Amino acid sequence: MGWDYSEKTKKLFMDAVKGVPGTHLGEIEDPDGLGEHGSIACGDALRFTFRVDRHPSDPTKDVIVEARYLTFGCTSAIAASEALCRLIEEKKVTPIEALAIKNQDIVDYVDGLPEQKIHCSVMGAEALQAAVFNWAQKRGVDLGKLGIDILPEEQDEGRMVCKCFGLTEPYIRRKIKELNLRSIPQITNAIKAGGACMTCHHTPGGLQDILDDVWGKEERVVIQSGDFPIRREAAPSASGFSDYQLGKMVEKTIDEEVRPTLHKDGGDIEIVDIKGTMVYARLTGACETCAIGDRTLHFVVERALKEKVDERIRVIAV
Amino acid sequence: MKTIYMDNNATTRVAPEVVEAILPFLKENYFNPSSMYGPARDASDAIENARRRIAARLGAEADEILFTSCATESNNAAIRGALKAEPSRRHVITTAVEHPAVLEVVADLERRGFPVTFLPVNRKGEMDVRDFVRALREDTLLVTVMHANNESGVIFPVEDLARIVKETDPSILFHTDATQSTGKLPIDWKGNFRHVDLLSFSGHKLHAPKGVGALVVRRGSRWRPFLIGGHQERSRRAGTENVAFIAGLATALDLALENREEEVARLEAMRDRLERELTARIPWLEVNGQGAARLPNTLNLAVHYIEGEGILYQLDAHGICASSGSACTSGSLEPSHVLRAMKVPFTAVHGSVRFSLSRYNTGEEIDRVIEVFPEIVRNLRKLSPYWDSAKDRPREDAKERLEGTSRS
Repeated sequence: MGWDYSEKTKKLFMDAVKGVPGTHLGEIEDPDGLGEHGSIACGDALRFTFRVDRHPSDPTKDVIVEARYLTFGCTSAIAASEALCRLIEEKKVTPIEALAIKNQDIVDYVDGLPEQKIHCSVMGAEALQAAVFNWAQKRGVDLGKLGIDILPEEQDEGRMVCKCFGLTEPYIRRKIKELNLRSIPQITNAIKAGGACMTCHHTPGGLQDILDDVWGKEERVVIQSGDFPIRREAAPSASGFSDYQLGKMVEKTIDEEVRPTLHKDGGDIEIVDIKGTMVYARLTGACETCAIGDRTLHFVVERALKEKVDERIRVIAV
Repeated sequence: MKTIYMDNNATTRVAPEVVEAILPFLKENYFNPSSMYGPARDASDAIENARRRIAARLGAEADEILFTSCATESNNAAIRGALKAEPSRRHVITTAVEHPAVLEVVADLERRGFPVTFLPVNRKGEMDVRDFVRALREDTLLVTVMHANNESGVIFPVEDLARIVKETDPSILFHTDATQSTGKLPIDWKGNFRHVDLLSFSGHKLHAPKGVGALVVRRGSRWRPFLIGGHQERSRRAGTENVAFIAGLATALDLALENREEEVARLEAMRDRLERELTARIPWLEVNGQGAARLPNTLNLAVHYIEGEGILYQLDAHGICASSGSACTSGSLEPSHVLRAMKVPFTAVHGSVRFSLSRYNTGEEIDRVIEVFPEIVRNLRKLSPYWDSAKDRPREDAKERLEGTSRS
């Protein structure tokens, strides 16, 4: 597969891990805005903070002067985080203007990302958005009044579609529209949904249904599984006893005839399973390492069971 | 910069002796072994010679060795060929940690309605033989369990499992994918492996080229050919034989088994030193499969709170080749199914790195990895939102933070 990264992406990453001056690794103490996105379970997570030059009278004129990140993630996740901070500091924007920075701006800044890494840039844009909302709360700015769509807490409320990455229907729906996602692979590349167990792809209410609903239904082929598991009837036991009865008799014989002998030598026996006349057993305690363990199973245990229960019984060492 | 190659469970360098064995069949003797003229006879003799040598090394009979193109083909052929042998039985037993060349084939069967048992593994990557016994059914058709795991290196007790299967019901077929173990672990077709029906391996894990493999089929096993359409391999694997690589495979197996025990001891000593030194230098580092019987050449590490792809990228910058089970390197978005089956905590499953050694690795190369790896980890931990670099341990609030950032 190899690394399909642009030179810019590679440089941003290597500069970041080496802590080259001018990189933005870290976390601002008492930040004016803090946003997090992702989780360690998903494989990447970003903690983004920024500081503003506070305007004395009008908070909406605050200007972001410093941005920092901590990122758990792959090469491109770290490069995208670094890119996000640089973009913001270079632009000298207000937090509200910063909302105009979209994931595509991050992709462009790093000279492109491989398709399956697009979600790294989405993570950056999401964390920025969360940080701006956090700033608005702290500074008492009512984003709604300014005509900025405050996102509902859709993630907590909606129906869970992608269980692997914990993504809900309202969230997936919004992202399909925002990022103009037209197919399941595009959804997966952008927001990871459907990238793991894949069961949500074609189940009712799954990704395809959501896509169809958002963009209108197109003809598609549904693959149905051909046949079903056969059901086998329980075979009658050869000895005339049911498997249950046979099992009980085996256990009784082992308790009464075998265990007392083994206990004398500091050992014991574990019955792992009984299938018809086959008894799966292992010697434990002192018998476990005993050199004649296998012979004990055959000559002592098997013989006793053949005599007392059924002569067809075989003991298999486990 | 010199390349330090430590990804030998992925593929290996072709041994110079193997190259020598191959070249005459590329340069001079290019004939189709099925043709009638004299020179073609040399080509077919070369195949039979290779077959005898491989059989002798494994303690098998020559007619039990079928040449294939790779272990994936061998696994497909083994499983699909076993199904055709007895259509009245349907149940298949395998493990949750098989290579995709088995796992996906079996999952495909399951989709087509075959009942399948996927046996779990414990935290060390081991199977509980008791689970295996309980999984055996009256309608069990096939058991397919790998000999050693490619990611963790953990070895399954194939000898015991095959014996239990045959004592239970000789008509159940037993297949093992021995791709990672052939040449490394003892395999004696008439000895410890006498209860195994089908065994797969490939050349490129033991210093032969990519594109050649083998399937060992026990005489008398009910198994039907998978690739048909030609009389080659006694009509059990159609297709013009890869004469050159088959000759190379025999030489590669000879090389591996001539000094197997000394080589295993040398690899194990290097691996153990790497393991010891890295675990001593790096906090919050786990050895996956530690405490289990493992391949001598494999070291699979889980580094908590960082992601594996960034580790590989930095290793690559030092010329060191390794691999990771992280989601970002898998092509899908899922981290390794093997490590997840082992229940490696999710703080570490993305930070796995596998070093796998071969006879061409040296002590100096191990030194180099010991020298650079701790810094690579420190670099990424400095960036991690869960790590306190000043105290060199997870942040106090790492746990809350993990819980607080479920939104993604």
